[in-house]
Parts: sequence; structure tokens; C-alpha cells
Amino acid sequence: MASSYFHRTRLRRVQRGAGMRGNEGGHLNLVPLVDILTSIVFFSLLTYTGTALAALTSFDLVLPPVVVTSPEEVKQIKSEKDVLNLLLAVRVTNDHLEIEHSAEGGFHTRIDSLNTASLDSLQALMTELRARYPQNRDVTVIPSDEVAYDDIVRVLERLKMARFSAIALGTKARATKVTTP
Amino acid sequence: MSRARDMRSLRRSQQFGKFRVMQLNLVPLVDTFVSIVFFTLTTTTVGELAPVVPGVTLPETTVGTPALSQLTLGVGATVTLANHPVMATLDAAAEPSDDPRMPLKIPTLYRAMKHMADSLRKANGSDDEGGVKISLAIQGDKTMRYDLLSRFMQTARMAGFRKLSLQVQRVGSGP
Repeated sequence: MASSYFHRTRLRRVQRGAGMRGNEGGHLNLVPLVDILTSIVFFSLLTYTGTALAALTSFDLVLPPVVVTSPEEVKQIKSEKDVLNLLLAVRVTNDHLEIEHSAEGGFHTRIDSLNTASLDSLQALMTELRARYPQNRDVTVIPSDEVAYDDIVRVLERLKMARFSAIALGTKARATKVTTP
Repeated sequence: MSRARDMRSLRRSQQFGKFRVMQLNLVPLVDTFVSIVFFTLTTTTVGELAPVVPGVTLPETTVGTPALSQLTLGVGATVTLANHPVMATLDAAAEPSDDPRMPLKIPTLYRAMKHMADSLRKANGSDDEGGVKISLAIQGDKTMRYDLLSRFMQTARMAGFRKLSLQVQRVGSGP
């Protein structure tokens, strides 16, 4: 009886072990995942420099056109596309806009003020000029010194909407140091 | 009889125990993959976006081409080139040119830009004094006057940066 009891006990122990193994599978160790997420948070905080990421857009500027006079410079012109057949300029001041171009004996018009309505007028006029001279996509913007950068960008925005892709920012000729308050 | 059956059962269970499936812990592998996917998505999405220079309030626009990360001249309270402060903006505005033919030149900024342009030329293997092929983006505060902006632009062009772009903040759609 004693040996029989021993063997039954042994058998039950084996069966209990097998039963326990059979209940495995529902165990998921989340500790390494938490460790890695902690590392990510730590290094993200460590490398954060305070720079904000935003949807930025850019206005690519080209160099203003130049008048070529010497024969050597004329030889450097590779194709007819490099030659502008229309000089178009937009002067920007704090109280008005001026549009000038060189075709048809010269064109000059003035749009008073620098508000949304005047910018709408500018866009309409520039769209018309773009349609009239489709080969010309160049325009030179010449802001006055006192014009704010924000206003210049608003003008550039309207020129882009009028489908002028080659925009140059010009400046008036100076001989002395510029002072800025 | 019962004992023999018990022993057979015990031996059978021990034999089957030899063929147990070995445990393979895949949890660390999955965690590593999670990390890789996280950093891959972060660097592909964020890495190419142009960051806004701290302290600069950009003008807003509805048009323009999407701006990617590039060499940036920031103009806020401080003038920064590639995120390194160069000089105070007020000092830049007050600094006179040292070249009578170029009255808009800012000498201190010119030296920093020339150093940067020379480094870029050297990295590209071109030692000539031609223009730098990399575009320079300007992020200026929207309250900045044009006379100051024109000084920055001329100084950049003198240093060799032929391609300039103005980076501004994009909002909504066009009117």
C-alpha cells in the first residue's frame, strides 16, 4: 500500500505539472515594451530644442534682370529664352503700388493704398499682363525701405497667384549706409 | 494491475515530455520592431520639414512651394546662420559697410557667411569662387523692414549664395 501510495502521489505530481504547462499562453510580458517607451520619451525630451515644426512654404527668388551692353556679355547669352522681352516691375510703398512695364512704349499705373482691395486689383492686373505676354514670367518687385516684410510677402503671394514664377526682389541704388530703427 | 497501468501512464507522459515545444520569447523582438518603426516614421516625416527658427514670427501666406529643411538664415532678435547665433539684429542694422561699392554689406555677417560658403564649396570639391549651389533660406520676422532684409540679401549674395528663398508660414488656402 505504501508503494502504491508513493506512485499515485508521483503520478498526480506529473499530471499537475502537465496541467500547469497546458494553461500557459495567456502570459504577455509588457516590461520590455515599457522600458523602450521610457527610453524614447527620455531621449525625446533630451533632444528637444524648442524648435517648432510648421507647414512652411518658400518663395524662391531670382536675381533681378540686368542690361547687357558689352559684346562679351552678349556672347554669353546661350539662348533667346535668356533674353527678357518685357521688363515688368512692381514698386511697393506703404501707401500705394506702382506697376510698370516696357512694352508698347511703356506702361505705368498706380494703385492706391496697400490693403486687400488694392492687392486684389494688383492680382487682376498682373493676371491680365501674364495672359497678354505669356512668354514673360519674370517680375521684379522693388519695395521701399520702410515697407514691412509682411507686406512684401502679401505682394509676392499675389504675384504667385497671377502665375509669375520668376520673382526678383530689387532695391534702389544707394551710396550711403542704411540705418534701420 | 493498477500499479502497472500507473507506471505505463507515467512513462508515457515522460516520453511525451521530451517532445515539448521549446519556448521562444518574441516580446523583445516585437519591442525592437516597434522602436524601429517609430524612429523611421519620425525621421521621414519630421526630418525633411523645415523647422521654424526660435523667436521668429513668420509672415503668413497661402501659396508657394513646400519648404524643405535647408541652410537657414534666421532674423529675429538675433541673426542666426544654420541655428548658430551670429550677431544681434540691432547690431546688424547699425553696422556700417566696409566696402564703399557695397553700402548694404554687413561685415560681421559676411564673414560668417563666407566661412560657411567656403566650407560648402570645399565639401563639394569646388575650390573656385563661383556661387554656392545650395539655396539659402531666409526666415525673417514679419515686422522687419525691407531695408534690413535687402542688406541680408545682398550680404548673402556677396558671400556666394546665389539662390535665395524666403520661407514663410503656410496657412489655409488662397482667397
